Amino acid sequence: MENRLKEEARKLLKEGKVDYIVGYGNGTVKFRTSPLITNKEEDIESLVINPFIANNLSRYPTEIKGKLGIVVKGCDSRSLVSLMQDNKVNRDDMVILGVPCEGVVDIKKLGEQIGADIDQAKEIDKEGDNLIVQMDGSKKTVPFRDVIFDKCFGCEYPTPLEYDILLGSEVSPRIEIEKSLKKIKEFEDTDAPERWRYWKEQFSKCIRCYACRNVCPACFCERCFVDVNIPQWITTYGSWQDNLVFQLIRTLHVAGRCSDCGECERSCPVGIPLRSLQRKMVEEVKGLFNHETGVDKDAFPVFTHYEATDPEEFIK
Amino acid sequence: MGYKRIKKDQLNAFLRELSKDYAVVLPSRSGGQVVFGPWDGENTDFLDWYKNTVIPPKALFFPPVEEMFRFRKGEEGYEIEELMPDKGQQIIFGIRPCDARALKIIDMLFADTYRDPYYLRRRENSLLIGLGCNEPCDTCFCASLDISPGQSEDVDILCTDTGEDLLIEAISDKGGNLLSRMSGLSDAGSEEESKARELRKSAKERITREINLSGLQERMRSNFENRAYWEKVSKKCMACGICTYVCPTCHCFDINDENRKKEGKRVRNWDSCKFPLFTRMPMENPRHEKWRRMRQRYHHKFEYYPMNFGAIACTGCGRCIRECPVNVDVTEIIGGI
Amino acid sequence: MEETKWEPKVVGFLCHWCSYAGADLTGSARMEYPHNIRIIRVPCSGRIDPMFILRALQNGLDGVLVSGCHPGDCHYQSGNFHARRKFAVTRKLLEYVGIEPERVQFSWVAASEGPKMAQVVKEFVEGVRKVGPNRLFKDEIRDGE
Repeated sequence: MENRLKEEARKLLKEGKVDYIVGYGNGTVKFRTSPLITNKEEDIESLVINPFIANNLSRYPTEIKGKLGIVVKGCDSRSLVSLMQDNKVNRDDMVILGVPCEGVVDIKKLGEQIGADIDQAKEIDKEGDNLIVQMDGSKKTVPFRDVIFDKCFGCEYPTPLEYDILLGSEVSPRIEIEKSLKKIKEFEDTDAPERWRYWKEQFSKCIRCYACRNVCPACFCERCFVDVNIPQWITTYGSWQDNLVFQLIRTLHVAGRCSDCGECERSCPVGIPLRSLQRKMVEEVKGLFNHETGVDKDAFPVFTHYEATDPEEFIK
Repeated sequence: MGYKRIKKDQLNAFLRELSKDYAVVLPSRSGGQVVFGPWDGENTDFLDWYKNTVIPPKALFFPPVEEMFRFRKGEEGYEIEELMPDKGQQIIFGIRPCDARALKIIDMLFADTYRDPYYLRRRENSLLIGLGCNEPCDTCFCASLDISPGQSEDVDILCTDTGEDLLIEAISDKGGNLLSRMSGLSDAGSEEESKARELRKSAKERITREINLSGLQERMRSNFENRAYWEKVSKKCMACGICTYVCPTCHCFDINDENRKKEGKRVRNWDSCKFPLFTRMPMENPRHEKWRRMRQRYHHKFEYYPMNFGAIACTGCGRCIRECPVNVDVTEIIGGI
Repeated sequence: MEETKWEPKVVGFLCHWCSYAGADLTGSARMEYPHNIRIIRVPCSGRIDPMFILRALQNGLDGVLVSGCHPGDCHYQSGNFHARRKFAVTRKLLEYVGIEPERVQFSWVAASEGPKMAQVVKEFVEGVRKVGPNRLFKDEIRDGE
């Protein structure tokens, strides 16, 4: 897939069809990739496609003006289509290079599975259904399926639905949805005071770096509600009450446009399980309004639209 | 004073003795994270898994949120209730040489023209017991900044983990005084001392990342107007605050008054020059564009701070590289200038 | 001096054209409804941002009632339709994080439904009384816990 990508990207730049190519390049930290945004042909050689491409590049079209050749996995393509539904991005400005995705490796999970510090690993290769980790003097093999992100287990659309060029062969949906929802289900089984205490504890860790908001493609407001000071909705500093309210409102603002790419949780430096909130909303929106983010390019965004038959049994 | 040592299983007793006069703070696991927290009185197994925390030790002296004072409108004007940090003595055990140097670096700022009472009170009442690194992380680059991963002059007492023992060395007078009052310390033999030296040397050699500082001042000055370069390197940046918040030398803060009816408080909290609204003023925002903020942060750390205080405001801890969601790398950016 | 018993303190966001008028009618008809509710008039139930509900709870109010026109009768055509969708997800999220569902209530009350308004408020306040005072956002937890 990588070679095909480089070929197509080169062609797009040469023929002037795009202003920038937005893809993944090798990171400067072992086993990490980094967004590579370039308009120079010599940088194309640095593009990669490997099991570590975690970033959601759909975050960039709202910021970078012009025609973009953008590399998207399944979840990313749904974010991009959601932006098109929101009229933030023009379909004609995008040349979508789709990557059918078998899952992205969670480095932390991998470290836990092999019981070693990944920093010490020399190389990690995917061979068939396994991941081979080359340590100093030993080799460890883990099944690939055991170390992908939680969100990847139940991915129903691993192959981008909207694309101009598909860089590989289609991947069939993964159906272990219970694994993706495991944390949420466990959570729902506890009682209300316990749930509140859990979130209170989690949000005491929050330092308001706003990474969750800034990496999210759906958060494209020029001035976020937290930065509004007339009226001031929440304080600028991190008290757990304000942190919690911030995240709850953010969750409601992106509900229906979130594709559960998981970037919010991955970026959080203090490890707050944000996917437990965002994915829950994905499920609710599906259940209440039969709407899945970014599946149908011509669908209306969930909250700008309404049906006469919307559920209302909870309203007196 | 020469090296002292204790066996690792004596660490508990050592810390217990310290706890008599000091509040001991050391690395602990909390909420799935490694943080500096109060010692629970028992656990010393952090020596097995501790690399470094995500939130740097600056948070112990300059907390993310700090109430400065409270006020109330009384009969005859405002009554102010000061909220100074309490005078209790504390020991920070396990601080790394990079973080200890970082504290020395921001000490200069907080003790400048306006002496910051909150930070300085905490610093005066704390003693640092450092723990040298035997195995630097992939993201560490302290060596290029003349900081040794295994050694430090910025702590009061330095410990080195030699496998079975902890070698303890007094660095400052304060540290020496404390050690002389401790019991249960044996003298370290020359074998242990050379082992420590070996570990320090190999730790320094294992650092693979480096930052190019040659002719830095000149390079930075002449590239200030290089808009194309800063636009290129800032394109992928998310403008979140992670790099500034996990940086042990970053120190910008915001102050707000929170009040309701007749009472309120003044609070200061961490702020980041990367945020779009950081320089927002009534008439304009001079750093509205992301590339300007990117340029500002690196110039502040690598040009202005050395100009004002004589030290580069970076200690090579590598947290910004590790925690950045898009892998913006300070060594790459400085290297490219 | 006898101890004052806790009384729920709740807020009601009522839409100007239907629910607020309905509450007015309740008053004119001399029907009683609990004094625990403080009413805030908004132009339309669609004006209600989930932020209002959370802020109300954060500031210590024991419950939030939101009331608007019946679907199809909105003065602004579609405000309450949008509100209906918003409320459906807001409610699910609040319950998920552990806020008692009895604290947040939605209703459709028309301008002519004076008795219904009284009934809705009465039932709501009783529901809030059952779940007790709102200590969710407090810092220090005393007595028990």
